[in-house]
Amino acid sequence: MAQTRSFNPYTENGGTILAISGQDFSVIAGDTRQSEGYSIQTRYAPKVFRLTDRAVLAVNGFAADGNMFVKKVKQRLEWYKHAHSKDMPLKAIARLIQTMLYAKRFFPYYVYNILGGIEEDGTGAVYSFDPVGSYEREACRAAGAAQSLVQPFLDNQIYFKNQVAAPGTTHPAHLPLPDVLSIVIDSFTSATERHIEVGDGLEVYIVLAKGRDLQDFEAIRARNVHLTQELTVTEDGERIFVMRLDLKKD
Amino acid sequence: MEYNGGSVVAMVGKGCVAIASDLRLGNQALGISSNFQKIFPITDRIYLGLPGLATDVTTLKEQFRYRVNMYTIKEEREIEPEAFAHLVSSTLYERRFGPYFIEPVMAGLTKKPSGEYRPFIAASDLIGCLNFAKDFVVAGTASSKLFGVAEGLWEPDLEPEDLFETISQTLLNAVDRDAYSGWGAIVHVITPESVITRTLKGRMD
Repeated sequence: MAQTRSFNPYTENGGTILAISGQDFSVIAGDTRQSEGYSIQTRYAPKVFRLTDRAVLAVNGFAADGNMFVKKVKQRLEWYKHAHSKDMPLKAIARLIQTMLYAKRFFPYYVYNILGGIEEDGTGAVYSFDPVGSYEREACRAAGAAQSLVQPFLDNQIYFKNQVAAPGTTHPAHLPLPDVLSIVIDSFTSATERHIEVGDGLEVYIVLAKGRDLQDFEAIRARNVHLTQELTVTEDGERIFVMRLDLKKD
Repeated sequence: MEYNGGSVVAMVGKGCVAIASDLRLGNQALGISSNFQKIFPITDRIYLGLPGLATDVTTLKEQFRYRVNMYTIKEEREIEPEAFAHLVSSTLYERRFGPYFIEPVMAGLTKKPSGEYRPFIAASDLIGCLNFAKDFVVAGTASSKLFGVAEGLWEPDLEPEDLFETISQTLLNAVDRDAYSGWGAIVHVITPESVITRTLKGRMD
């Protein structure tokens, strides 16, 4: 009898990513656990990457595809810089990612992308993509293993869904940075508690617009000096920081 | 679970418990009713939620009514939540190899020897494996969403009105991300003095 064999080129490596934009900042976060089935491959595999001083990309799904995709996006951004002597604007990176994903429409990169950063007009932005390049600019987005746990929580806490503003007031369109960071950390601790593929570590990238008042951020930074690292390369432009926090390892 | 849709959540508060569900009955993706009750009073202090296959919801609610009545007559007292949880468990396990497609959720107050009341919640899988949680339990098609929101919103020792707000927000925001749940919601907050029942206005899409 004829036997059928098949090679499956895809794996699902767990983990979750999340991004929220503010008026003049953007926060992009991801846990650092990488798993295959019930096994943990590593407790530290970054899913969030600095592309430029105003763009950060989070990639979740099949880790091999994710790493290759980020490598190719970075390569295209380097070529752009050599050709145009400046970093590619955020909305152009978003369109580039769409075309790169759709180019592999019939053998897709098995990844969900979330791009966060600062737009040319100085506003914080989040772009989310599906594996074949369909994309949208939003205020917040969760993706990955715990998307179903985190996204309804964000609907409630960021978009104020199902909440009624006090008489004579309206819900804020953008939340302040300290509130956003608290919501991001709470989202990941909750997801870690209830989802086996989420945990170990949390990397939070914070992109601040050019000339932004740093008072609120410095207060947070002062409390987490040993956890926070600046990644900014250029002078007097946008600034990027990364905070590394622990999540439960069980 | 996805044949008719629906979700239930129960939470513990300070000297009180709450149980809430959506009101949808569907045939796969098609909505049929926006007033399908899946939470039933068992005694004055015990409520039972039955998300799952609608035909089994009706069968089991009658079956539990019969068995609780028989218990009350034989024992000459009302059933306590712990005993009722085990009654649910054994009723479901009787059908171990041809189960009812239901994931029951219970909420009630247990009378202590001192006369005080202790909050009690429990959930079970479709063959009667009980889960006695100290904080909250979820079931139904929006269970993963309910877990995520509840884990973020719930805190210990909530007063009845705060517990009502917490369970309502948890349910509404979870079912709004679930195609199989929604179409209105109902909440019961059980306190030693009374049961507060409110029907919530929610998204109808």
